[in-house]
Order: sequence, then C-alpha cells, then structure tokens
Amino acid sequence: MEPIIEIVNYTWKYPDTEKPALDGIDLTIMPGEFVGVIGPNGAGKTTLALSMNGLIPGQYHGIKLGEVKVLGKEVEEYAKGELQRHVGMVFSDPEAQFTAMTVEDELVFGLENLGLTRSEIKERLEWVVELTNLERLLNKPPYEISGGQKQRVALAAVLAMMPEVMVLDEPTSMLDPLSRKRIFEVLSQLRRTKKHTIIMIEHSLENLIPLTDRMILLSDGKIVSNENTRIFFQDAAVQEKGVYPSEVIQYFHSLKKQGWYEDEIPITLEESVERQEKLLAALNSASHQRGV
Amino acid sequence: MNINEPFIKVIHLKYAYPDGTLALSEINLEIYDGEFIALIGQNGSGKTTLSKCLNGLLKPTSGDVIVEGFNSKNTPIVQMVNRVGYVFQNPDHQLFNSNCWDEIAYGPRNILLPEEEVKIRVEEAAAVVGLSPDYFESHPFFLSKGLRQRVAIASILALRPKVIIVDEPTTGQDSRQSYEIMDFLTRLNREHGHTIIIITHDMPIVARYARRVIAMADGKILADGETAEIFKQTSILEQASLEPPQITRFAQRLGHHGFDPGTLTVEQAVDQFRQIRERFVTRS
Repeated sequence: MEPIIEIVNYTWKYPDTEKPALDGIDLTIMPGEFVGVIGPNGAGKTTLALSMNGLIPGQYHGIKLGEVKVLGKEVEEYAKGELQRHVGMVFSDPEAQFTAMTVEDELVFGLENLGLTRSEIKERLEWVVELTNLERLLNKPPYEISGGQKQRVALAAVLAMMPEVMVLDEPTSMLDPLSRKRIFEVLSQLRRTKKHTIIMIEHSLENLIPLTDRMILLSDGKIVSNENTRIFFQDAAVQEKGVYPSEVIQYFHSLKKQGWYEDEIPITLEESVERQEKLLAALNSASHQRGV
Repeated sequence: MNINEPFIKVIHLKYAYPDGTLALSEINLEIYDGEFIALIGQNGSGKTTLSKCLNGLLKPTSGDVIVEGFNSKNTPIVQMVNRVGYVFQNPDHQLFNSNCWDEIAYGPRNILLPEEEVKIRVEEAAAVVGLSPDYFESHPFFLSKGLRQRVAIASILALRPKVIIVDEPTTGQDSRQSYEIMDFLTRLNREHGHTIIIITHDMPIVARYARRVIAMADGKILADGETAEIFKQTSILEQASLEPPQITRFAQRLGHHGFDPGTLTVEQAVDQFRQIRERFVTRS
C-alpha cells in the first residue's frame, strides 16, 4: 500500500521568527490510520496540520524545505482547491472557517463544489445534521451561534464532504461534555469503517487514546516520539516530555514505580479496571497460599 | 461583617432574558469568604448567566442577589463589580486597550480613582499575576494566550474584588499551562484571600482544585456540595450529562475492593491501593 501522506525532511519557518516552526520532520501516514498529534502549545501542531492540507505554503508566507506529499503528489502541485477535496480540515478556531450566510448554506456549499447531485447532497446533509445534532441551527447565520456550535458546524461541513483525509485541530475545544462525547462517538464510528485517514490534534488524551492507532509527540518543532499508541504510553518518561497521560495511565505507572505492578500499562478505563481486578485477585490468592 | 455571614446570598433568584427565555429559576445559594468553587454544567445550563447576576451585570427578574449586604437590585454596578469580578472565557473578548498598562488601569480609572492610586493598583495587580513591567507597554494582542489571560485577570484584580469568577480558565491551554493557571488561582485564594469561582468543563481540574462544586442543569442547581460528595452522586451528574474524572470512575468501578468512590486524584487512588495491598500482604 502507498502512504497517503509522506513528509520527508520537512522544515517550515514563518517570517520574523528565529526558529523554524517545524524542523526536519519525517512522517509517513498510511490510508485508514487514525493518528493522534500531541505536544505542548507552540510545539508546531497546527503548523503541521496546515501543511498537510496545503494552506502552508499556499496561504502563508515562509520558507519551506523538504517534501510534503499527499496521495503521492507534492502539495504545491495541486491545482487551487483540488487538494482540499482530498484533505478536509477543522480548525481549533471555527470563526476562521465560516464563509456562508446560514449554517445550511455552509454545509451545502462544499457539497455543491464536489459536483454532487441534488439527491446526494440532500442525503449527506441529513446524515451529518443528525450526526452532529444541528437540526435547530440550520437557518441561523454564523453570528447568531456560539463558538461550540460553530465548531460542530465546521466538523459537519468536513464530514459531509467525506474526504479521504481529515485533519482535525482540537475540534472539540469549545464544546461541553455532552457535545464532545457525541463527536468522539462519531469519530469512533468513522475509525471503524477504515475509509478515512484521520489526523487529530487534541489535548484530552483520555478521549484521544481509545481512537488512535498511533501517537505523534511534537516538541519545539520536532517529532520527539512516533509510536503505536499502546507502546507510546508504556514509557514512563512521556510525562517529562510535557505530556500528561490520562489518569489511569498515570496511576499504573505509579504502581509500577513502586514495584507493585509489572505487566503492560493499560491505556483505557475498561482495560484498567480489568487489570486492577486481576492484580487484586493475584494478591488475594498469594496471601491465601501463604496463609495455608 | 460577621465572619459567619455569607459574602454572597442568592435568594429565589429567577432570571429571564428580555425575549422571555427563562435562563435561571429558583436559585438559592450562599457563598462564603475564602471558598474555591467550580460551577459545572452543559452549555446553556445557566452558569454564565448566574455569574453575571452575581456581579450585577444582570439584575434578577425576581428574587435577590445580596453581596456583602448590598442588594444588586438597587446598588450601582460599580459597587457590585468592586466586590465580584468576572474574567471572560476568551480574554480577547475583554481586552481592548492598546497596551497592558491601560488595560489594567481601565477599571480603577473608570471608578475615578486618582492617578496615583491607579498606579498602585496596576502595579499591585501586575505583580500578583506575575506580569513583568517589561510588558506594560506591549499590546495585549501580541502576547501568548496565557499572558493575555493574566492581563485579563490583572485588570479585574485592579478593582480588588473579594470574589473572582473565571470563565473556562483552561480552555485552549495545554496541560502544563492549565496547571500553571490553576496554581495561580489557588495562590490568589490561599495567600491573597480571594474567593474563587471557576466555570469549567474540565473535570480533572475541578477534582484537583475546587473544594466545592455547584452542578447546574436547565437553569437550576442540581447539586451543591463538597467536590468528592458531588462526584459520588453519579446518577445526579448523569442527569446533567456530566461525568466525574476518569480516576474517580476507576475507583467507583472498584469500590467493592475498598476504593473510595469519592477519589479525586491519581495520588489518592495510589494511596488507597497501597492500603488495600498491605491488607493482603500482612493478612497471613
């Protein structure tokens, strides 16, 4: 299988900054992968996202070195607007994204651009509207809806286009727990179909971990770690690299450090409860054996 | 003022927006000096509206909000915001001056303090938030979000309100920045005697920092009490589609082994395991 994204020795420097925002990045992503991108603010996560859909270098000034290939082709070689059909992007700041006068127009606009028939458009619109719970907002102009609602519209607009690649830059940062949960459920469904390649920047590792095949840790413009998610969190040192793993992972690392636990670090709540049950059962039978 | 008197008293508060939408109903609340409170609930549950009633930006449709003896109904807003400050969720919605000094000085100047007093207030507030004088001439727009938030908090502190409400202090911040902001609010609470109210969706932050939680749904208070007690009431939280932090849910799932359903932090859970383990190891 050919990689869907191939980044080779890529460096990007914005004007008026001393250090490059991304510095010698090598990254290969295969079709159908769900990749998490994490790291402190200022590490270069958003720059990486913008590079993958061609907004960098298209819409930004700066100096580029190396290669960023999507579907085997360098991003600059795509005709204007063509790359965006393959790579959909949701920004962390949804204000930046709105172009139409109503939510419905915003959703339909992209679909018309794809050259879909009216019935196809209607079908997809109904699908995303239900998925993202936007029924009541369809006729509202962008200035009448909240930041969280805009974020849901932005995600719906990208989902409706069903692009091969979706780049999501903190798509739930402005949502409340209920809407956030719904979005993560949608992403989990998409992941199971394996039809899309999804790259997601997200601070909430508790939500991100169960979705991702792979974790990429950026720091100071460099990829510090690029590892299968399960393997990534076995390393107790991730915390020193500025990552705060979800609470159950921290818990099991603490147990390990005390010498109370020796097995693999579980990465989800379900796994953790299971592991803890086993650990207690083992302690119990050991104490009985000693008692005999 | 009697130390046992609440600083803020909310009695049968109801608030309806001009178009008739009912945002708050039957809110009863007492807030005391030195508390650290988290206000939680979905968007639209009334958290921000309640905050704006507490500092007099909104007047009750019926019922009363009494702050240090002043009823918001007939107290000039200046008197209210001197007592209860509100820091916007997005500092950019609050900052509008072209340099940090003027931004922080805006409140004190607005209440017509003499310039010498304004200077004292600005320097004091900047020192508390850790904003170096090097930034006084900077345009807030060019600072990082963390620094802009500090400027926003300083501009509220300059009015020396007893109570500071911070709307979503950790949104858009990474983990380290979130802890920095929360540690800073904790210092305001412990060392400077401010009552802190945070509005947030971040449950691990609530668990770690807030001593009291007020959960809201549909314009009403659903639960109000000590943080651990509130997180134990999972069925009530579920009504508001809220979930305790992951480590709390972990402990609750293992409650039959002796984990405390009111566990708030990883450290607490580790300590509980240590105790459970010791029982096994020393049993024989």
